Amino acid sequence: MNIGLLSKRTTMLAGRIKQFYEELGHNVTIFTADNLSINESLLEYDFFILKSKRLIYLYAGFFIKAHGVPIFPDPDLTYKHKYRIDAHYLIQQAGLRSPNFYLGSKDVINNFLSKKAPLVSKSLMDSGSKDVKFINSNKDLSTLDENVVYFEEKIKGTHYLMYFIDDEISVSEKPPLSNEHAPMTEITPSQDMIEILRKWREYHDIPFGHLDVIKEESTNNIYVVDPGCFPEFSNWKRGDDPCPKICNIILKRISNIKK
Amino acid sequence: MKIGIIVDRYHLERKTQNLLKYLKSKANVSVYIEEEYLLNSNKFHFDEDIFFVKAKGDIIIALVKMLENETSIPVINSFKGIWTAFHRFVNCTLLKKAGISVPNFALNPEKIPPSFDNYISKNIIDQKTYAFNPDIEKLDGNLHVRDQRSLREKSFYDNYFFYQEFIKSKWEYKIYCIGRELFYYKQLPVLVNPNKMESRKKIDEIPELGEMVIKANEIIDLKISSVDFLKTKDGKFYLTDINSSPNFDYIKKGAKIVGDYLIKQAKR
Repeated sequence: MNIGLLSKRTTMLAGRIKQFYEELGHNVTIFTADNLSINESLLEYDFFILKSKRLIYLYAGFFIKAHGVPIFPDPDLTYKHKYRIDAHYLIQQAGLRSPNFYLGSKDVINNFLSKKAPLVSKSLMDSGSKDVKFINSNKDLSTLDENVVYFEEKIKGTHYLMYFIDDEISVSEKPPLSNEHAPMTEITPSQDMIEILRKWREYHDIPFGHLDVIKEESTNNIYVVDPGCFPEFSNWKRGDDPCPKICNIILKRISNIKK
Repeated sequence: MKIGIIVDRYHLERKTQNLLKYLKSKANVSVYIEEEYLLNSNKFHFDEDIFFVKAKGDIIIALVKMLENETSIPVINSFKGIWTAFHRFVNCTLLKKAGISVPNFALNPEKIPPSFDNYISKNIIDQKTYAFNPDIEKLDGNLHVRDQRSLREKSFYDNYFFYQEFIKSKWEYKIYCIGRELFYYKQLPVLVNPNKMESRKKIDEIPELGEMVIKANEIIDLKISSVDFLKTKDGKFYLTDINSSPNFDYIKKGAKIVGDYLIKQAKR
């Protein structure tokens, strides 16, 4: 099969996915911002993998889906992971907790910050740890570049990165404000963590991905602060390579879409 | 009856005053101004019978998304409609797929030109309130028009450009749509005369365009819109732009028509 892989880079997990499928005899083209022109030429592929949530790749995903070429994960679901407001509803629909959030101009936020701080500012259109900042004062607020700011109430507790591939899970304690690739210590997941991942996976029919969560110190409640549908699995701690597992899942999903 | 207007300061001051005046004579009106509004997920209660959205900023579309998720109050236009209208590549893809004639288009990295010779490069996301600002170049007999907005914003989008094939047309046709009512106008293309109102004329119905407008609005999920067309020498129309937040003050009694439409929708 001819497989297209929409990814911002050709290395790391994207490179390993390419190698895996090529060893099975498939042809794989990785489309990055250097070679991705979004037009009818993409429709010659048998299926696509949407590895990146960046807007250009999402546009390619919408184009591919609109023309009936199978693509995984679904671009609409990927967009909902990326857009904070949609992500909030994805979390709530699965019956999970997410922090209260605010969206407003800096001037408006300035007026109520003293009552609500500490807050966490995040980019409205980008999940992940990029651009995440703790905001305790008006001075912190003035350092933000954007005029319209998305904030979440800060949950005081321990941060965890929880990966899942079907019912296999790997959970690590995550340093505050770090990204997925930072060194982390594996923990044994608690029953409520296992239950959260089950609910997420089953409600949205997502076979692999991750949830960033915070276990609140005062209540032990777990809040989902960032979902992701195609992590790098840099901190997968189960001692095996997650790449073949996710590649096989994708093949299975694609064959279901084709049916 | 209570009607909510969701608007930014620019549209409130310049494009919504007549509507507000008309609606206030018929109903209770609440106004939510983007620059003054704090969206709070924990405090979200509304008692309006309908909302009308006259802008498309980030806070506004987030509020629309939440209204759709948390209430059963109708919102005109919907999140899907507003979002799809300002993502040019997405609406061109959906319209073309549905059989509506749109000019050839492409989304390419900076170093890869489009496959068509004459083009106009537009901003990828048409969300902000600033005007089209063309930079025109003739190269080997081909016309290349670049909107300054697309040049300024390219770094936000991995140095990509949205290209639309240039359609040479004597007139630009603009159809306003309010529910099922259509209002037909034509004007000189902005590349010929940037002051679009100077040449604008009301014209008779063109059924072919009416059908395309109704179909486009259904696909994109718009109830109120304006849709632009260009016409080739051999008489073929191409849909070049669709706008979820049109200035209906350009229509005779536009504020009344929109106001009555909103009141009717609220009563349903």
